[in-house]
Amino acid sequence: MKFIDATQDQWHAAVDKDGTLPTPGAGAARLLTLEQWQAVREHWPHEAQAGVVVPNDVDVESIAPDLPRLALVALQFPKWVDGRAYSQARILRRRLRFGGEVRATGEVLVDMLPLLQRTGFDAVQMRVDQSLESGRRALRFFADHYQGDVHQTQPLYARSAA
Amino acid sequence: MYQYTDFDRQFVRERAAQFRDQLERNLRGELGEDEFRPLRLQNGWYVQRHAPMLRVAVPYGELSSAQLRQLALIARKFDRGYGHFTTRQNLQYNWIPLPQAADVMDLLAEVDMHGIQTSGNCIRNITSDALAGIAPDEVVDPRPYCEILRQWSTLHPEFAFLPRKFKIAITGASEDRAATLWHDIGLHLVKNTAGDVGFRVFVGGGMGRTPVIASLASEFVPWQQILVYIEAIVRVYNRYGRRDNAYKARIKILVKSEGTSFFDAVNAEFAAILERDTDGAAQLISQHELDRVSASFVLPAGLKPAPTGFAADASNDAPLAFTRWCERNVHAHRLPGYRAVTLSLKRARQAPGDATHGQMEQAAAIAERFSQAELRVTHNQNLLLPWVRESDLFTLWQAARDAGFANPNIGLISDMIACPGGDFCGLANARSIPLAAQITERFADLDEQYDIGDVELHISGCINSCGHHHSGHIGVLGVDKDGAEWYQLTLGGSDGKLANGASVPGKVIGPSFAADEIADAIEAVIAIYRRERHPGERFVDSVRRLGTAPFRAATDEVRHATATATTTATATATATATATAE
Repeated sequence: MKFIDATQDQWHAAVDKDGTLPTPGAGAARLLTLEQWQAVREHWPHEAQAGVVVPNDVDVESIAPDLPRLALVALQFPKWVDGRAYSQARILRRRLRFGGEVRATGEVLVDMLPLLQRTGFDAVQMRVDQSLESGRRALRFFADHYQGDVHQTQPLYARSAA
Repeated sequence: MYQYTDFDRQFVRERAAQFRDQLERNLRGELGEDEFRPLRLQNGWYVQRHAPMLRVAVPYGELSSAQLRQLALIARKFDRGYGHFTTRQNLQYNWIPLPQAADVMDLLAEVDMHGIQTSGNCIRNITSDALAGIAPDEVVDPRPYCEILRQWSTLHPEFAFLPRKFKIAITGASEDRAATLWHDIGLHLVKNTAGDVGFRVFVGGGMGRTPVIASLASEFVPWQQILVYIEAIVRVYNRYGRRDNAYKARIKILVKSEGTSFFDAVNAEFAAILERDTDGAAQLISQHELDRVSASFVLPAGLKPAPTGFAADASNDAPLAFTRWCERNVHAHRLPGYRAVTLSLKRARQAPGDATHGQMEQAAAIAERFSQAELRVTHNQNLLLPWVRESDLFTLWQAARDAGFANPNIGLISDMIACPGGDFCGLANARSIPLAAQITERFADLDEQYDIGDVELHISGCINSCGHHHSGHIGVLGVDKDGAEWYQLTLGGSDGKLANGASVPGKVIGPSFAADEIADAIEAVIAIYRRERHPGERFVDSVRRLGTAPFRAATDEVRHATATATTTATATATATATATAE
């Protein structure tokens, strides 16, 4: 799990200036809103990095054709108890085979980490008051689980039977 | 009973360690109350009116004597000496200080128990038929599937923060003793014409403010695919269920508002998991796994089918109390020579479903002596002994009587369901326990209770419906009006058992009653039934035949505080429910 420090992050939001569309920055990785991406996707250079922020009520299947061109999908937790993005992440990984970064943003708390990791997030931008040490510890409590997940696709019983 | 593996044991200990870490961060002030709350809820810890409440999971109601002894020990050492068995087959404590929570979780883990997912917006403890595996009308034993579902749902990473709580009930019998159609998912194990085992799946039942009976989602899902089908349902719910209003967040609202398109979405998701996901096939249950889990549910060693033919009244000198107990508390068994026996937790001077630590010890000892050290917690808040030899019935009756468990009232009006109500619960609008006590007292005469016959009285202290008032023949709902306790009365509800007819919420009888009127109103209802019934007609059948009018008239006559207000009073549940259950 990658812990994102916002001050060191290579990804930068593309700010609309006076309605002009974002362009790939020199050497900078652009993190676009879904609307921005949809406006520029036709002429966005294939070699330029792009990341997209996907709201949690969007069906991620709708961006399936774009996934090969995206290096990052940032999913959102507007409230930490709103669990929709867990389903989005799982579908991105296991159904759409997305191999880029899946990042958790918004109200991301330490105790969400085991769930985030198991549903396919590989980066988190935790709320600023969260402790990195507690976060690392939160990932270590369980040696294994019953059901399969994005990393261990076989449920426990299928493995013990082998 | 299911036998814990080393993995199961380690898992519960890991969960206890995780909770201890969260609790310590909370006590140190690193984890605020709002952020600790959902975490403690998913371990069974509420904060109630007086102290925290701990809800201990009793998976599908199966409990060993050793576990019950440990529950007694916790009641004695950490609580005020008692616990409360719930309609969802769990056990609740009411007085354990939160700083001791982690120690209690460690004690529970010693006997393979925990509070995982007994609260919170996640998949809750799976409930089932208290006669699972022993009922003569059973088609398929649901317990192995209950256990497989328990494991699948335990700490499922995708479904820990659903829009609202999510309850699954399973039955494998022709009689539905688990109120399955009142659940978010109700599962009926069936065999198709080829003899293959599968599930008839119902979705979207629930109580609360908007009572809804579950709709049929699939006529037959092969058992191998049931986890995939449930995953599809819960994923559709997680993505599309409402999160803007806790009262409209249960899956029943989504099913109602979307109708066919909900079921289309589930079927599309089901197909997508199997056909497109890299791990779709891995979610199928293998024969090997079913066999492994089923091995825990074979007949206990030492059971020997014996000649049957027991009849309580065969000997003329059997005490009346014993023959009555045999009639009400002893149930048929699939194994010749055996019976299931209910230990009644409905008696004078104790709240329905409550047991002291001493009573828990006694029940544990009785189960050891007469029932292979196994008990079941029933949906009706009693304990049940699943493996009793017919030849032991008389001795068991004496032991149960001496311990205060032999009240022969199962299915009668005093065998009521009641939530803890306003005496304990922070959500309740009104108290349940004093009303339950009044009813127990007024119908203390067993002859009268027998004359009245089968009556299912269900009491909830608020609209969250923990006391299942919607499904009672007589339902009582506590409501709050201007800070006072009021009670709404409903008649004719059904939990879905054959004798009760199709699952249906009861009909409201007039405006709410004042606290000092409601017991009179219930008595008036019973009096009308006794006057108007046809020979042999059960209470609920009379209610259906007569309609609500005569009951409305009779209950209006007992009003005094509300007598002048009956035409205008509007103390309805909708105006008064103020809090949702955690």
